[in-house]
Amino acid sequence: MSLRRFGIAAFALLAPLWNGGLALAEQRFPPPEFETGYKMPAITTPAPRGLAMEYVDVAVLVTALGVAAWLVHRKRSRRGLIVLSLFSLVYFGFYRKGCICPIGAPQNVAYGLFNPDYAIPVTALAFFLVPLLFSLFSGRTFCSGVCPHGALQDLVLIKPVKVPLWLEQGLSIVPYIFLGAGVLFAATGAGFVICRFDPFIPLFRMTGSFFILCLAGGFLLTSLFVGRPFCRFLCPYGALLRLGSLVSKWRVRITPDYCTQCRLCEQSCPFGAIREPLVATANPAALAPDRRRLGWLLLLLPVLIAVGAWGGSKLSVPASRLHPTVALAEKYLDPKKPAPTPGSATPETLALTRADENAEAILTTAAAVRRKFDVGGWWFGGWVGLVVGLRLVSLSTRTARADFEPDRGSCYACGRCYLACPNERVRVGLLSPAEAAGLNANRAASRVAASART
Amino acid sequence: MTAPTVSSPPPPAADPTALRALRQTVLVIAALCGLAVLLLLVQHLRSQADDPLKSPQLLALKQQLLAEPKNEALKQQIRLLDLDLRRSHVRDVAFNAFGAWFVLVGVVVLVFAAKGIARFRVVLPSPHASPDAAERVAVTALRARRVTVGVAAITGVAFLVLALPAKTRLPSSPAGVDKVLAKLRGEGEDAPPLPSPAEFAANWPRFLGPSGAAFVTNAAFPLAFNLASGEGVLWRTPVPAPGFNSPLIWSNRVFLSGGDATNRSVFAFDLTTGTQVWQRAVANVPGSPAKPPEVPDSTGFAASTMATDGRRVFAMFANGDLATFNLDGSPVWSKNLGVPKNQYGFATSLAIWQGRLLLQYDQGEPENNLSKLIAFDGATGRVIWQKPRPVGQSWATPVVYEVAGKPQIATLAGELVIAYSVADGNELWRAQMLSGEITPSPIFAGGLVVAISPSDQLFAIKPDGAGDVTKSHVVWKTDENVPDVTSPVSNGELVFAVTSSGTVTCFDLKDGKKLWEHECELEVSSSPAIAGDRVYVFGTKGGMAVLAAAREARELAKADLAEGVLASPAFARGVMVVRTVKTLFCVADKGGPVLEAKRP
Ligand code: SF4
Repeated sequence: MSLRRFGIAAFALLAPLWNGGLALAEQRFPPPEFETGYKMPAITTPAPRGLAMEYVDVAVLVTALGVAAWLVHRKRSRRGLIVLSLFSLVYFGFYRKGCICPIGAPQNVAYGLFNPDYAIPVTALAFFLVPLLFSLFSGRTFCSGVCPHGALQDLVLIKPVKVPLWLEQGLSIVPYIFLGAGVLFAATGAGFVICRFDPFIPLFRMTGSFFILCLAGGFLLTSLFVGRPFCRFLCPYGALLRLGSLVSKWRVRITPDYCTQCRLCEQSCPFGAIREPLVATANPAALAPDRRRLGWLLLLLPVLIAVGAWGGSKLSVPASRLHPTVALAEKYLDPKKPAPTPGSATPETLALTRADENAEAILTTAAAVRRKFDVGGWWFGGWVGLVVGLRLVSLSTRTARADFEPDRGSCYACGRCYLACPNERVRVGLLSPAEAAGLNANRAASRVAASART
Repeated sequence: MTAPTVSSPPPPAADPTALRALRQTVLVIAALCGLAVLLLLVQHLRSQADDPLKSPQLLALKQQLLAEPKNEALKQQIRLLDLDLRRSHVRDVAFNAFGAWFVLVGVVVLVFAAKGIARFRVVLPSPHASPDAAERVAVTALRARRVTVGVAAITGVAFLVLALPAKTRLPSSPAGVDKVLAKLRGEGEDAPPLPSPAEFAANWPRFLGPSGAAFVTNAAFPLAFNLASGEGVLWRTPVPAPGFNSPLIWSNRVFLSGGDATNRSVFAFDLTTGTQVWQRAVANVPGSPAKPPEVPDSTGFAASTMATDGRRVFAMFANGDLATFNLDGSPVWSKNLGVPKNQYGFATSLAIWQGRLLLQYDQGEPENNLSKLIAFDGATGRVIWQKPRPVGQSWATPVVYEVAGKPQIATLAGELVIAYSVADGNELWRAQMLSGEITPSPIFAGGLVVAISPSDQLFAIKPDGAGDVTKSHVVWKTDENVPDVTSPVSNGELVFAVTSSGTVTCFDLKDGKKLWEHECELEVSSSPAIAGDRVYVFGTKGGMAVLAAAREARELAKADLAEGVLASPAFARGVMVVRTVKTLFCVADKGGPVLEAKRP
């Protein structure tokens, strides 16, 4: 296409941008007129969304989770999961605007637990618990095709770049830290930071602050080349699902039958979740340094918790400023606060005037919030120490594996690896059993070789 | 182990035309999306200035409108600018919505096309033997541990960066909050103690004196004096700025305020010598209107008498400026309360109770709901409470007194006498006794609130009622010789009222019975005052009469000051201080004022 033709096309397509908003406004303070007898319509408030619809959301969630579990474990259908992802993206994402969603639900739960005046909505509780319960049986089926955030990232993935496993494993503590922060701010009533900094909600709603839209754009661009960056490196609910899927009853299996160790699936996972076989070391003496390290790390664990808790306790002042009442109280006590301007007050000076009139109530509430942060800071810091310590411990242990298989915590059950396995291809009729026979021979040969080495 | 082999379906053969078409689609869509994002960014930056809520131009015009509420051209300009800004805002919103949809659709097409290209480029797996799994796992784990430690270190540094510079004035303990609140109220440990009731009574800290009835027991100064010759006059000094407010006396200082549309100031004079000790302009008050309101000359900008709590002096002006200074003239706080909507100009004087400054801020018509009673913390200017008042503009000054150990403030406006609790501003009682334009102030004497409905009735209310006490607590009322401007005064036994034509009438405080009346032949617009057994009445044309504060009429002295008096006199420390339209003078015997050892 020549540059000129491109220019004309671009102009034609983008021209409506300039005319997109004709002058639609009316004078807000029209001069009074008494002739036409026009009556100003009464201001009406739209009715809230019916409660029944919230139960519909829960029903859709449960159904989608059931379908996802069936597609992952029984049908083993990547195509089915793509269709389900599209549905979830449209329903939970663009139709329900990303709210309600399990990612933010831990905050509702934390807020409800620490603020007796707030009754957790049943739907919020269901959205928090149901995917977790499913993870105990079928792994991260929520991530596979029900989560709109995951679906969006998964569907736009074009050319996955391999993130080194060590980097991925090292960064895997970040979602837990984010989860801790989300719970801290929610429990203290400061706000739902997980929702506030959710990069995909603005995409679903097609609006948002400049900062958050840039963040959304950044995540979307990254998702084209890095598989599920938000799920892997930030999602706090994914951190919980990871724990659930570690002990899940059914786990994702690449092969429907048995692993021939052909290695054909090795590179098929865009999320680096496939682990190669690892035989236990035969010589116990070789394990001594590893055991010593593990011992030291176990001893270090309480120290890390204590240091983290102490550090967290120092955060109460800056962290509590995210609470609007604390921020107002701090501003009010600041000698350099802006002076009130009667007549044309700004929201800030209006708030300060309000503080001036209710100083006692505002300072008392702010101090109560600060006390919550004093305590919450210890817990949050301790949590960070615990997460770091446990991660170091887990990175110092080895899991022996006989076959190529997905890491239980890291696998999003997306089903991409299924068809990389020749046995799966035989199962679905893409390969004849005869063609796969050689592989079985290879497996027998590799077993003999392995036993010869040991 | 040898690399296993398996036959796998080959990727679709790369059709060069299809591939090229897909490639071009990706390029075009990517360029269009990039361009759209760029336009949206430019639009975002451009639209910042058009925010209808933040437009500096609109805010400035609105501010100007406060000073010129009747400027129709200005109103029209605001309407048009507001319309313009919102039109442009609506355009921006529509632009953003279209842009967002454009980018969304573009991204969907882009992803589809790119996936199409990716299908042509499938790289088939070619696995090969990789025997050192254990070693790879060990190296990976080692590096992962390092990354974990790195993340932990970054988190720790973030903790430090956030925590170290964080200073706060907000305590977390309830005791700490109490301390901060006490400090805000000016009751902190470092705050000087407020003056004792005896110290308060020894001075003239507000309009109508410490008792609120314009009465002091002491009249040690000479009865006869001559302003022109200086006989009996301790000192005289020109009044530096116009104003109808009355002087205050605290310790060895005399305070008054003055000013006009352009300048407004507070002045302090030495009580012994009359020299001006300091003058402070009330300027740069936050929120003060750039253009002062129009105020009739008959009221002026400084009609409100100041007040002092013994630690600070407070002054109020007709443009809504409220300013506070320490006794040495250092400014403490100032604020503008919004230009009061008052037909004749704001004239209500300030009231004081311990460390609290009380302001009856009545304005407009009752239905405007603009009037309120505000209690400020004297030390900080913080509003301790404020209560809306169901009345319109008024000019009377409220009186503060104690009933059964609890302070009350009685206010007059519209048809109502309303008393509030000084502690929390809650209404205690009200009586429907008034009519007309309320100028005379209420007083408290002999356990009764005595007030005037201008040219209508003088009445006394027992202030221990609750709710509507119109029928239950009015002790007496009389309609004889009722003034229309001046306030009544009382020595606790007798009540004196002066009409504008100079008729002084004496009533028995107990039952309101008229005891006598006396023609002073003066035009009077300032409230009289009682020093010991003398009632002082000053005329607007320079005449003065002194009557006996007794059950029989007796004129003790008469004089011509040659200068009209529109303010009430102040008595304290054995002296009388009077503000005429031109001069401030002090009448005292040769010993001068009786001052305590410690001076401010
Ligand atoms: S299902 Fe397979 S491809 Fe998908 S995340 Fe799990 S291991 Fe990776």
